[in-house]
Amino acid sequence: MFRNRVRTLLLTGSAAVATVGTAHAQTAAQNTTAGTSISNTASVTYTVNGTAQTTNSTTATFVVDRKVNFTVIADQGGTKTQVNLGQVDAVTKFKVTNTTNGIQDFYLDPGQSLIADGLVTGIDDFDMSSLRVFVDSNNNGVYDAGVDTKTYVDELAPDASVAVFIVGNVPASGTLSQANVNLQVIAAAGGLANTRGDLLVPTVLNSDATVDIVFADDDNDGIGVDLPRNGEGRAYASYEIGTRNVALTVTKSALVLSDGVSTLNPKALPGALVQYCLFVRNATLTASANGVQLNDIVPANTTYVPGSITIGTPGGTCVSLGSTEDDDADDAAETDGVTASFNSTNRNVNAIVGNVGGGGTVAVAFKVTIN
Amino acid sequence: MPNPIRTIAPIAIPLAAMLCAAPAFAAGPLQVEAKVLTEQKTRAADGTVRVALVPARRIVPGDRVTFVLAYRNTGAQPIGNVVLDNPVPKGIAYRAPAATSAAPDLSVDGKTFGPLASLRVAAANGTTRAATPDDVTHVRWRLERPITAGAQGQLAFDAVLR
Repeated sequence: MFRNRVRTLLLTGSAAVATVGTAHAQTAAQNTTAGTSISNTASVTYTVNGTAQTTNSTTATFVVDRKVNFTVIADQGGTKTQVNLGQVDAVTKFKVTNTTNGIQDFYLDPGQSLIADGLVTGIDDFDMSSLRVFVDSNNNGVYDAGVDTKTYVDELAPDASVAVFIVGNVPASGTLSQANVNLQVIAAAGGLANTRGDLLVPTVLNSDATVDIVFADDDNDGIGVDLPRNGEGRAYASYEIGTRNVALTVTKSALVLSDGVSTLNPKALPGALVQYCLFVRNATLTASANGVQLNDIVPANTTYVPGSITIGTPGGTCVSLGSTEDDDADDAAETDGVTASFNSTNRNVNAIVGNVGGGGTVAVAFKVTIN
Repeated sequence: MPNPIRTIAPIAIPLAAMLCAAPAFAAGPLQVEAKVLTEQKTRAADGTVRVALVPARRIVPGDRVTFVLAYRNTGAQPIGNVVLDNPVPKGIAYRAPAATSAAPDLSVDGKTFGPLASLRVAAANGTTRAATPDDVTHVRWRLERPITAGAQGQLAFDAVLR
């Protein structure tokens, strides 16, 4: 009789298991989907006293469990979102990537953040108001108000990414420089489109017949605010009021409107009517200049034409769309935000233009007659 | 002779299916039980980590699993020429023979068996390349010696869930 040479496996205790190595680096989409049932059966052939026989082994089956994993990063190219006082719907952009072996929903929770030291530079000295979070529903990478309205990540496939926007308003006043925000992402059950699934809870008791939930996410922020294996992730971004000055220029020109002699080509003759035109231009595209005020002394040997100050958008001979201002300094009756006055003592034309938007130009015109 | 099973009313069919699904041993003398085990690490009080193989319950992609075939000769006669052919389940990547198990022959097509180094697979450009463990589709053991009456043994291979 031959002794069976096949040794039995040591099944318990400190079994010395040979190094097996993990699966080659593969993406989540290549991972076996959670819920897949894996069965193993061997077919066996043998002979008994020369007669060939066949049989099958029993079938061993297990269900692939859900390895919940994902990343969330600030997707701003390492920069801060530049904002201005009073700006509404200012956006910081994040990216959530699902690396679970199955479709996932994710809860999104935007928040103010004071503890972003080391992750973003600068000191947080103000809070954004009306913080909201939206998913890039149309996948164009930019926030579209009224279009990107979903507030949770819905049915994100393995390896798929989606942009998430934190949208907030900047306070209207104050000496402010930076507001840090964070996006907290929490894994939730997928499977039902247009429905935010319940938050996932790791399975305590392992079962071989159902899909266990296993959290495999890392400490996403590396500073301990997020923890590994908690099914949550955080990323940080900043809003910055970095623009403290704008490129404001004023250009002045004169145009003889009429000289009482020639209608086609009026000359600067005594008694001629001359229009002075001032263009205030803000060449900084990203910030508006507030409280802009112009002062211009009416030249010697000319006489200011009362009630001739107009302020508005450039065009035509100077101001195309604008309003005519009164000459007095009492602006109580003014409602359009721009006012002007003429001081006959020092012959000064004062125009309070107010706001000149980024890249915008405001025109101011007034008229004199040559003495 | 008609198979007597066939004469049983159709209601018996699902019952028979259930029996097959359960660990029902075939009537033959050779019984083979398939098992899937996974490593469970436990840290002892003295700080050492003990690795035990336990039935696979919590398995996620990347985890190691060990597929075991435990066989036993329940008959009175020796069983010879035993060949156990184990197709590698979908989603499973073969890695190595389990420790203490005889090394199986491998195949990348279910037809040609041999050691991994002897196997080649078609490459995209029309040529062939050496097979890797990821390419293995079938694992086969051919027992050189008969299984004596009452004897038993186990064969196993290690794998990874893709």
